[in-house]
Amino acid sequence: MPDYVHPEVLVSTDWVAEHLSDPQVRIVESDEDRALYTQGHLPGAVEIDWAVDLQCQVERDYIDRAAFEKLCAERGISNDTTVVFYGDQNNWWACYAFWVFKLYGHKDCRIMNGGRKRWDLDSRPWSSERVSYPHASYVAQEQDPAIRALRDEVLKHQRTGKQLLDVRSPEEYRGERMHMPDYPNEGAIRGGHIPGAVNVPWPMNCHDDGTFKSAKDLEKLYIKELKMKRRSPTIAYCRIGERSSLTWFVLTYLLGFGNVKNYDGSWLEWGNCVRVPIAKGGEPGGPSAASASPPPASASPTPAVHA
Amino acid sequence: MASVQERLGELIGEFADLDAREKLELLVDFANGLPPLPAEYEARKAVEDRRVRECQTPVFLWMESDGTGASTFVAEVAPEAPTVKGFVAILAAAVNGRPVAEVASLSDDMLDRMGLADVLGILRTRGLRAIVARVKRGFAELAAAGTGN
Repeated sequence: MPDYVHPEVLVSTDWVAEHLSDPQVRIVESDEDRALYTQGHLPGAVEIDWAVDLQCQVERDYIDRAAFEKLCAERGISNDTTVVFYGDQNNWWACYAFWVFKLYGHKDCRIMNGGRKRWDLDSRPWSSERVSYPHASYVAQEQDPAIRALRDEVLKHQRTGKQLLDVRSPEEYRGERMHMPDYPNEGAIRGGHIPGAVNVPWPMNCHDDGTFKSAKDLEKLYIKELKMKRRSPTIAYCRIGERSSLTWFVLTYLLGFGNVKNYDGSWLEWGNCVRVPIAKGGEPGGPSAASASPPPASASPTPAVHA
Repeated sequence: MASVQERLGELIGEFADLDAREKLELLVDFANGLPPLPAEYEARKAVEDRRVRECQTPVFLWMESDGTGASTFVAEVAPEAPTVKGFVAILAAAVNGRPVAEVASLSDDMLDRMGLADVLGILRTRGLRAIVARVKRGFAELAAAGTGN
């Protein structure tokens, strides 16, 4: 994977197959549907669940530093372990777990390109055996504010017209889909997007087999067509920060953007906030509207980019 | 013949006293037991609007009456969603053959009684609640239309 700016963070299913028993490597599965891991996982892989393991069960936040240290220790992960994440849904939860590990300063994190789907397409073995490792010792860093944006920062970022990416579906972006039938408590009170945000739905980063698109294709989309700048501060968001972790990963590691933050509060926070600006419809709107680019012609076959 | 509530109680009872991993394993067992979609529904799937749009993965549900007022609940859930599939299989086992009005008044607490919130987290269990709500609404509409009498 030589074309990416940081190719070392992406490993192939071949590489993982060769390192399944490597004591220096811990394979971690993170899924949308955690029963998938129960049903069958990579031999020797442990599970880290976004909802139960990574999120605080009381406040809307991540687990604290001490809980993160405990989680790693229990999974047999030390500070010097190479942690390889993979999962379902084109690795979006894998990228989310990767992001939380980076938040606490874990050094060597990687993603298995293509996740469960690619592993399955390659007809590789699954295991339903219970996996456990001897406890490790782990010392986490303080949370790294360089990769996480909180609401006030997003507001300031928005007001100054900086690069903002909404990676949800076009319907969510336009504000047409906001309250989902039978989900009275999960949705936001208001629909639309943060003014100035450009809509690049997260699947545009991936091929059908779950692997990431080439550096060339990604550069074409973000840099040539959307005129995004690698050095400009960028914030990505979605509904709860999961799909935007994938975009954060793509921008930071595959394209080498220097300053990307994930706004994990995302639309479930913004759409419920009092007195924050919201734009409806397909145009970015807002202070950065003037610098936004027109819809890229090559992206038009799918109703995906509404710049 | 046991009521839908009694049947559900029995099925859910299997989850009591299990640890998180065992609960997930039992859900997977139920998921594996959901019968494949009958051929006639396969054909209808293409022309009827039966997909549950709130679900990320494809889920198709049919809430029908067999003509004598008994419930027929047919479902297809994509293999990449074993939690939903297992949950739907439990519902199907409890619901099928019972009077539609009885199914429409199914109590809402099955998820709490299964103790799945600790295993799945809040957002996922809301998705499952949405499925219960949809199934109940489907049978309630049949009951209101008199199809269930």
